[in-house]
Amino acid sequence: MEVPKRFQAGWEGMSQVERSVAATLLGLVFVLFLAVIGGVLTPAYFVFLLGLGGMYALLSLGLNAQWGFTGLINFSVAAFFGIGAYGTALMTADNSPIAGGFSPITGLIVALIVTAVIAVLIGIPTLSLRDDYLAIATLGLAEVVRLIALNQDSWTNGSAGVRGIPPFFDGWPILDGLPRALPGFRIELVPGSPLFLETPFYTAMLNLLIVGTFIGITYFALRRAHRAPWGRLLRTIRADEDLAKALGKNTYWYKMQAFVLGCLVMALAGVFYAHLNRYVAPGTLDPITTFYVWVAVMLGGSGSNRGALLGGFVIVAIREGTRAIDFGALPLEAAPLRLLVIGLLIILVMRFRPQGILPPQRELIWPGVVDDAPSQPDKAVRDTRGANNE
Amino acid sequence: MVNGDDNIDESRRKLLQYSAVAGLAGFAGCSTTGNGDGSDTDTDADGQSGGGDGSTETEAQSGGNSDPYTIGMIDSLTGSLSAFGERNQRGKNLALSRVNDVGIDGRQLKIQVEDSESQAQSGVTAAQNLVNQAGVPFVIGAVGTGVTMSVYESVIQDTDVVQLSQSSTGLGPTKFPDLLRVSPSGRSQANALADIIAEDGYDEVAVTYVNNNYGQSLADAFMSRWDGDIAYENSHNQEQASYSNLISQMADSGAEAWVFIAYQQGYSTMVNEMYESGYEAQMYGADSIQGDTVLENTPEGSMDGTKIVTPSAPVENENYQEFASAFQEEYDREPTSWASFAYDCVMVASLSIAAADEFTGAAISNVVRDVTRPEGEEVTSFEQGMQILQDGGGPSDIDYQGVSGPIDLDENGDPRGFLQVLEVQDHSYVGIDFISG
Amino acid sequence: MPPFEFLASPLLGYLANGLVYSSIIVLGGIGLSLVYSIGGFANFAHGDTMTVGAYAAFVTYGVVGAISGGVLGLPVGFFVALLAGIAVAVVVAVLTELVIYKPIDLDSIGLLITSIGVAFVYRAIIRMGFGADFRQYDIPTLRPIEWLIPYGVRITRHDVVIVLSALLLVGGLHVLLQYTDFGRKMRAMADNPDLARVSGIRTGRVKLWTWVIGAGLAGAGGVFLGLYNQLTPRMGFSLLLVVFAAVILGGIGSVYGAMLGGIVIGMVNQFMPALPQLGRLFPIIPRECDLPLVTSQCGIPIGIEYANAVAFLIMVAVLIIRPNGIMGEEN
Repeated sequence: MEVPKRFQAGWEGMSQVERSVAATLLGLVFVLFLAVIGGVLTPAYFVFLLGLGGMYALLSLGLNAQWGFTGLINFSVAAFFGIGAYGTALMTADNSPIAGGFSPITGLIVALIVTAVIAVLIGIPTLSLRDDYLAIATLGLAEVVRLIALNQDSWTNGSAGVRGIPPFFDGWPILDGLPRALPGFRIELVPGSPLFLETPFYTAMLNLLIVGTFIGITYFALRRAHRAPWGRLLRTIRADEDLAKALGKNTYWYKMQAFVLGCLVMALAGVFYAHLNRYVAPGTLDPITTFYVWVAVMLGGSGSNRGALLGGFVIVAIREGTRAIDFGALPLEAAPLRLLVIGLLIILVMRFRPQGILPPQRELIWPGVVDDAPSQPDKAVRDTRGANNE
Repeated sequence: MVNGDDNIDESRRKLLQYSAVAGLAGFAGCSTTGNGDGSDTDTDADGQSGGGDGSTETEAQSGGNSDPYTIGMIDSLTGSLSAFGERNQRGKNLALSRVNDVGIDGRQLKIQVEDSESQAQSGVTAAQNLVNQAGVPFVIGAVGTGVTMSVYESVIQDTDVVQLSQSSTGLGPTKFPDLLRVSPSGRSQANALADIIAEDGYDEVAVTYVNNNYGQSLADAFMSRWDGDIAYENSHNQEQASYSNLISQMADSGAEAWVFIAYQQGYSTMVNEMYESGYEAQMYGADSIQGDTVLENTPEGSMDGTKIVTPSAPVENENYQEFASAFQEEYDREPTSWASFAYDCVMVASLSIAAADEFTGAAISNVVRDVTRPEGEEVTSFEQGMQILQDGGGPSDIDYQGVSGPIDLDENGDPRGFLQVLEVQDHSYVGIDFISG
Repeated sequence: MPPFEFLASPLLGYLANGLVYSSIIVLGGIGLSLVYSIGGFANFAHGDTMTVGAYAAFVTYGVVGAISGGVLGLPVGFFVALLAGIAVAVVVAVLTELVIYKPIDLDSIGLLITSIGVAFVYRAIIRMGFGADFRQYDIPTLRPIEWLIPYGVRITRHDVVIVLSALLLVGGLHVLLQYTDFGRKMRAMADNPDLARVSGIRTGRVKLWTWVIGAGLAGAGGVFLGLYNQLTPRMGFSLLLVVFAAVILGGIGSVYGAMLGGIVIGMVNQFMPALPQLGRLFPIIPRECDLPLVTSQCGIPIGIEYANAVAFLIMVAVLIIRPNGIMGEEN
């Protein structure tokens, strides 16, 4: 069979880093799998967390398209996440002050259109600024968007938020109502710890399917784009914008494209969120989300799409995993302790593994270079890398 | 970014593996019934089964009779509403210790508390954890109407789990009969405020309200009830360093009666700024402006004459006084309405569990209203209620009277508002009147 | 009759309040700007450094508050506490720099992310130590200064102290940067770190001392913020965004830029009430209007809840015209 050979070649094709990360990940996945089987971690909650991780992975992909590939320090992630969420919410929800009752697909399309428009509006004044200024300017404009969402009751219901958002598959022939229709299973693999595969589990699986599809489309679209000349130009801009300009390229225009693209991906995550949570409020645009997504991208390995994906799941693991922190013995409050642990984790990762878990390996080298390299291996270039990357 | 050169030596890889293991340990940690409070007995990692779902049979708690009953609580332990979370926890801890002194049919009560971070998103994740992972049949939550509704619509609605909110005063939950709360809808407070101001002879007011669901809905209810003029109305954001632009606008409006729907932190700032600017006005407020911390952080005489409407059992009542003195002894301060609400939530939950046929959401939801409704003997403590149940009584034989009011959950899941009118006299709160909802 | 009575107008009141609020922002901003330009990154832990200083002063004041005597309504104990607050903020920040930032060999965005982690740590520790509720220094609240009231100005002596302190610190920093040897070295480093090092400046020491000064200013800012309003674990963080806006607007690395930025942002915030009533306040503009999108008093219908939004928009507008801030370095 071809498969094992591919895996073997793939394994040999990986570098040291990738191997150790892959090994650790596989180990983790295995342990989690055991935990679920053994009844220690319920399937419904686990799959829900996977869905949440997918959402953050999507946000990280979007940010990576801006930061990792083009070097844009964008601090308005939360705003576009929120715009995506509000876009679909305002179109589909019952108590939407503007529209309401449209199908979620319409909501998705509208959300993306609105996102593109606002992304351009925000990009125009900010993209020509230098790094640090770009960061604060985008942060400030994100706050403006949030304040508008909070105060303009006639547009967004203000602080009451938009409720009654239907699930994403509302109205679809089979998928609507599938979680309820499917029979529930009670599996007892480990005696005494039964697993329940019921409606919450199926709902979570369906949500996972949605976010997985979004991620799949986005990932492959971005990959193609980044391997194309367009992507090469973006990386040149990131490395040395003046050089790109000297080559006669209108860097501003390309940066704008990358910016809008990234924002569209973030909006996609927002759309998913709206139909997951069924309720959208101005709190969705709180800048803390932006910070978490940045941490996710850095943790995962900035500049790398795989790293961004990984980072999204890692940040959810950290945030939800630390919920259980409770050193009952010490007279310390649990909640701020969690904040402390997250802060320490960020510092530790930045200190000891700043390039993130999975920095880009050959992602930034387009295939042609490696393939056309001389077969007499120059260890510095070839190492153990094979013909297939990623 | 430092890219590229990854000379992975042994130590770094080990670090990665250790942190991965640590992360996993954290992950695994969230699956046990950890983070519980107030129980001294050992618990085993018996994940409560079957969070009560409509499509299959639910499982009653298995395991020995010594296992504690575990319920969930979603509280705003961090974030902008964290001060209320703190107050909630005090009330809840006091109630929990009292319940466990008596025991529910010989078993202890355990409450797994999760943090909503004052945000809908985290509240929903917390609810997912409690309902789908820990499998509790009863959730006390949340703080903030927005978070509460989000939790309900996203997680609880499709299950049998009972949700009882300790602190949601927005108008939304009334539409959902299964979403219960002990904090009365803001409408009763707003109406009471409007009536009191009118009685005091004012015909125009200046209103400010905190810019969230709570403030907005209370303000809307007030302004629809208020017959006179509204010389000024505007929202304000939480946690600002200065409200002087707000205060100067209110002073400019010419109104002599100022209405504050604000949280204590913001209100305290506003009072100080009024004092420092030399502005005086007759102040009225919702219960959120009341508290010992406000008294401690404002100068003498700055609030005298202020009238506040707060949901509370009459302070002359024995059960409230007993509660207040126990609270004072334990925490060295007067209880606020948030502590009272949380206290009552735990009591109602415990009585419902005791009265229910089995420890499942469906069974508990059948009895939860009855234990608070006027049919039956009035009980003011868990011990009393437990006694009646053990003597063979049913849920309708008890009428729990809370420290936040008579409760009496109606068919919309709302409590009967019982409001205390307080006035600030000599820089302390004095009850001057009460209004029955 | 008070002299110059014709000057009395709500505008003076807004101006005075704006001056005080601006001082708070300036106090927060100059330290941030300094660290930004010489340390090389946006320190998101700056707000929480302010909080650290404020709480350290709180603890100190609890101990020394009883000493009598004072100035402008502030007891001597307050100034002792102020020094303590500054000292603690400095110690904490320097430790952080030595243990965390320095060993990290990253670019500015990496350090920024790290500082977010540091901010969480500061805030969590303070929250654990002091609880989530708010408190104040045990200093009596003052009434407004009598003779200013007829002019529409309502400020207290504490406010005067805040403004004077801000002026003093800004002036002191300016003197340091322009007229001392050390200041010259700092400016050289801000301009071109590599050249500075090559020309013999001990950049490591300069950087450390920058942290000392920056954190000291943050600590002072926090103490005065606590005096101005109240102390909560989130006090510095809540103000951070506004402080950043001021620093960026004014231009990173420029002391006067930070001051200018602080004044602009602070004034905008306090002048918001004037917007809906322009006709009433300015003789040139007609008293009453009946136009769409304009209030009945010929003003701009923006509520005060948009104060921060307006500040940010102004910041962006300035950046469009001057991409490095008003007084930023021309790169």
